[in-house]
Formats: sequence, structure tokens, C-alpha cells
Amino acid sequence: MDAHAVVSSRSWKIALALTLAVALGGVPAQAQQDPQAQRLEETQAQRQQVQPGNNAPVWREVRREGEHFTTIKGPEAGVLIHSLGQTWREIRNAWIVPIVGWLIVIAACAIGLFHWGHGPVRLEDKPTGRLIRRFTTVQRVAHWGLAISSCILAVSGLIMLVGKHVLLPVIGYTLFSWLAEISKGLHNFVGPVFAASAVLMIVVFVRDLLPAAGDLGWILKVGGLLSGGRLPAGKHHAFHKLWFWGSVVILSTIISATGLVLDFPTFEQTRAVMIVMNIVHAVAAGLLMALSVTHIYMGTRGVEGAYEGMRYGYVDETYAKEHHVYWYEDVKAGKVETEMAEGTPEAPQVLQAARS
Amino acid sequence: MARMKFLADAERCIECNGCVTACKQENEVPWGVNRRRVVTVNDGVPGERSISVACMHCSDAPCMAVCPVDCFYRTDEGVVLHDKDLCIGCGYCFYACPFGAPQFPQAGAFGLRGKMDKCTFCAGGPEKDNSKEEFAKYGSNRLAQGKLPACAEMCATKALLGGDGDVLADIFRTRVLKRGKGSEVWGWGTAYGKPDNPQAKPPQGAKS
Repeated sequence: MDAHAVVSSRSWKIALALTLAVALGGVPAQAQQDPQAQRLEETQAQRQQVQPGNNAPVWREVRREGEHFTTIKGPEAGVLIHSLGQTWREIRNAWIVPIVGWLIVIAACAIGLFHWGHGPVRLEDKPTGRLIRRFTTVQRVAHWGLAISSCILAVSGLIMLVGKHVLLPVIGYTLFSWLAEISKGLHNFVGPVFAASAVLMIVVFVRDLLPAAGDLGWILKVGGLLSGGRLPAGKHHAFHKLWFWGSVVILSTIISATGLVLDFPTFEQTRAVMIVMNIVHAVAAGLLMALSVTHIYMGTRGVEGAYEGMRYGYVDETYAKEHHVYWYEDVKAGKVETEMAEGTPEAPQVLQAARS
Repeated sequence: MARMKFLADAERCIECNGCVTACKQENEVPWGVNRRRVVTVNDGVPGERSISVACMHCSDAPCMAVCPVDCFYRTDEGVVLHDKDLCIGCGYCFYACPFGAPQFPQAGAFGLRGKMDKCTFCAGGPEKDNSKEEFAKYGSNRLAQGKLPACAEMCATKALLGGDGDVLADIFRTRVLKRGKGSEVWGWGTAYGKPDNPQAKPPQGAKS
């Protein structure tokens, strides 16, 4: 038993167990059942006793998680082999890069087909010249903060994700590296703006976008788009709500949280943490970018009057009646407090707030 | 053409850190950056083994595969080098590398890391061989002078070998046969995969 009573606590425990077992007049049941498993637990010191040339415990130790001793200071300097890197490389290069790249191309093509086949949704009646305030200034600041930062982050992120395969062969190494360097800087500094805007957006919009009865039916009929008509909706229709909860509340929060972990490598996060964050970040951002294509199209070319509504805060009564008739009726009946104005959304002449 | 490799013999390494010092001195590596490090398993207990690690110049290098600006390249001798003028300091090579070889001069907020620095197998960079510019960015280009990496040349116990993979394999095979143990070539499976040429014969009359 002397041979076992050495150094590490593990071998000490085994020695104790063996001593007890011998004292009790039997072989330990565990060792009898699974000698292979017990050999895997041996330290190098124990192994050397029986097999002087066998270094297996050392090489098992090398692959085991955690750091070994080193005098060199640096992130994870004590790790000899970091196996997750190869896994990340395979997931990123073989799955994320092509899928995200093609997903955005497909989304853009689908919207292009819609524009070509169906065309933008125009107002049926002429504008009345009477305006209703649709978004407050804080809401618009939050929206445009998120919108502008998203665009910068999407373009810079895509340059770093797929630029190597799309842009690099076209513009060459020097120019692409310069572009990627700017992208990386922009991405890392605009990221926190995105995170802050997303939080503000959630706070100032959540009350208007709570799910209501009738939303599900609206979604199933795609707002009447398929049948040619237009289903009545409140201030925000069910797609707005889906977009808000899916993209802003869920995806943007995930993207912000994972992005901040990657953006501040100052907290000694391990590579394993950063790799997981990177994968989640890229998948969520790829999904958000593909979905954003629809939102950007609908908010600019796709629906007449929608862009002005968010840009200036006012919509014409015709727009309100045609797209959000319940909201329009509530405003007219004085159930909803909002400002009224005259003119065009670009140059509204504010009137006294319509109150009953 | 030789295929340059590193070989760290865990049976011989005495953890003197001479390789680390030789590398820093030879390449005038910036303060805080260590291209090579010695890691000790089972430190201070029987069965202790030390291994010197740096860039292993992999055959299928993960750093090269994930680099978003494609700044890595491989020389005819299999040495993996990178162009600091193209590097954007994203840190992806550090995430991907199994050996933790890529180093960054900073670890600042907003991902400000500076240009990546790593072992060049003492083979410099894309600039003109042994030019001032090359030395400032990458350090010494000993390969161009007909010498082998400073770390391996400096190693007192010849635990760390650097040079033609076939020659190294031959030296190591002789050692293993003679001492009858320690046949594991650390990191070779990860870095070089299967042999490029299993039938390769070491050059006749070559000495280590």
C-alpha cells in the first residue's frame, strides 16, 4: 500500500479506499466491476509505478478542461489544447457563413418579387389634409436610433462575415482589409448604441404593442393581403406586434447581450464563452437581417404613407382609416389622446389636441 | 522541399523557459506578448511533464480558415505567416487556434486588440527578407539566413526541435527506441493530421 500513499489527494483517497477494502477482507466492488474506469482515474505518479514508460495520464490531463501551470501571463496561457476552436471553425465556415449569406439574398429576392408582382400598397382615397399624430418624438428617436445603428451594424457585420467570399475577390486585399478595419471599428462602437436603442424602443413601444384579441386571425389572413381586401386593425396590426416581439424584444436583446460580451474582452472571458456568444450572435443577427428586409421595404416603398408617419410622426386621416381603422375611430371618438394637425406630414400645422 | 515543423519532447523539457527568452530576444517581441510559452502538467508532483508551445504551423490551419480578411498565407516550407498590414485585430484566429498561439498587444474595451502577433518560425513576414520593416513587424527572418528557429536552437536539452518534419521524426524515433518510452509526439495529430507523405525518407547523412 505504500506505493499508493503519495502526493495528490486523489491517490490518497484511492489508497484509503484500498486500505479499507483490504482491512475488511475484500476487493473494492467498484474496482472489480470496472477496472477500466479506475485506470482512467490514475495519476501519472500512480501509472509510473506499474508502467514506467506510460504517459497516458499526462496526455489525458492535457486534453482535460482547465489550465495547467505556466509562468507566462496571458489569456488562458495554461491551456495546452483548446479543442472548441476547431468546432467553432466548422460551425462558422460550413454553416453560418453560407446560410446567413444566402438567407439575406433569398429575403431580398422575395421582396423584389413582391414588389414586381404585387407592387406597393397605395392609399385608395386622396389624402384629406387632416393629420393625426401617430408616434411621439421619443418613440421616433428610439426607432431611428435602432434603425440607423442596425443598418451600420448589418453592413459592417456582413463585410466581416461574408465579405471574404463576396467583396475580397472583387476589390482586392488592400482595399478590403481597409474596409474590414473600418467595419470592425464601426461595429464595435455602434453596437452599444444599438443595445441602448433597443432597450429604449422596448420601453416606449411595449404598451402599444401588447397582443390583443383578433391578432391571430389577422396573421392567418395576412392582413387581408391575399384576399385583396384589407382587414381592420387597431393602432398596430398583428405583424407590427410580431415584428416588435420577435425582432426587437427577442432577437435584438439576444444580439445586444452576446455582442456586448464579445465587444468587451476585458473581463477575462474564456475563448469557449466568446465562441458560444459568437455563434448565437451570428445566428440571431442573420435571422434579424433577413426579417429586416421585409420591414424596411414595407416601411419605405411598400406602404404609401408609412415612412412619413415614422419620419415626421404624423399620418393623414386617409392612411389611418385605411390601415388602422379601429385606431382612427378611437381617435375620432376622443378615446385616444393625440395631437391633430393640418397639411402634409412633412409640414404639419399643429391644431389643438382633439378631445371630446 | 522541407516541411517545417516543431517537435516538443515532453520527456526532455526541464521547464527552463530558455525558448521563451530566446524568442523574445531574437524577435524583440513587444512587452506583454509571448509568442512561445512553457506549460507544465502535474506541476510539482511526480509525473510532471513540461511542454513548450507556440504556433505549430498547422497543415490545415484554423486561423487561416476563419480570418475574415484572409491575411494568413503558407510558405513553400509549410510555415504559416500573416500580413499585419491586412490584420484587423478581430481575435477570430485566437478563438480558433488549438494551441493559443495568436497574441494581441492589447485587450481593450470595444474589441481594441491591435494587430495579431504570433510565432513566425523565425521566418519573418511578407516584406523583403531581413529588411528593417520586416524586423519591426515580425522579428527575425532566420530561415532566410539559412538558420532554424532561435527557440529550438537555444534549447539546452534539445527537447524542442524545429526544422524539416521528416528529419525531426527520424531523430525522435531514434530517441524513443533508445529510451524505450515517451513515444507521443505532442500536438502533431492536431497540427499536422496524417503524414503528408508516409513513405518519406529522411535525407541521408543529416544531423540534428
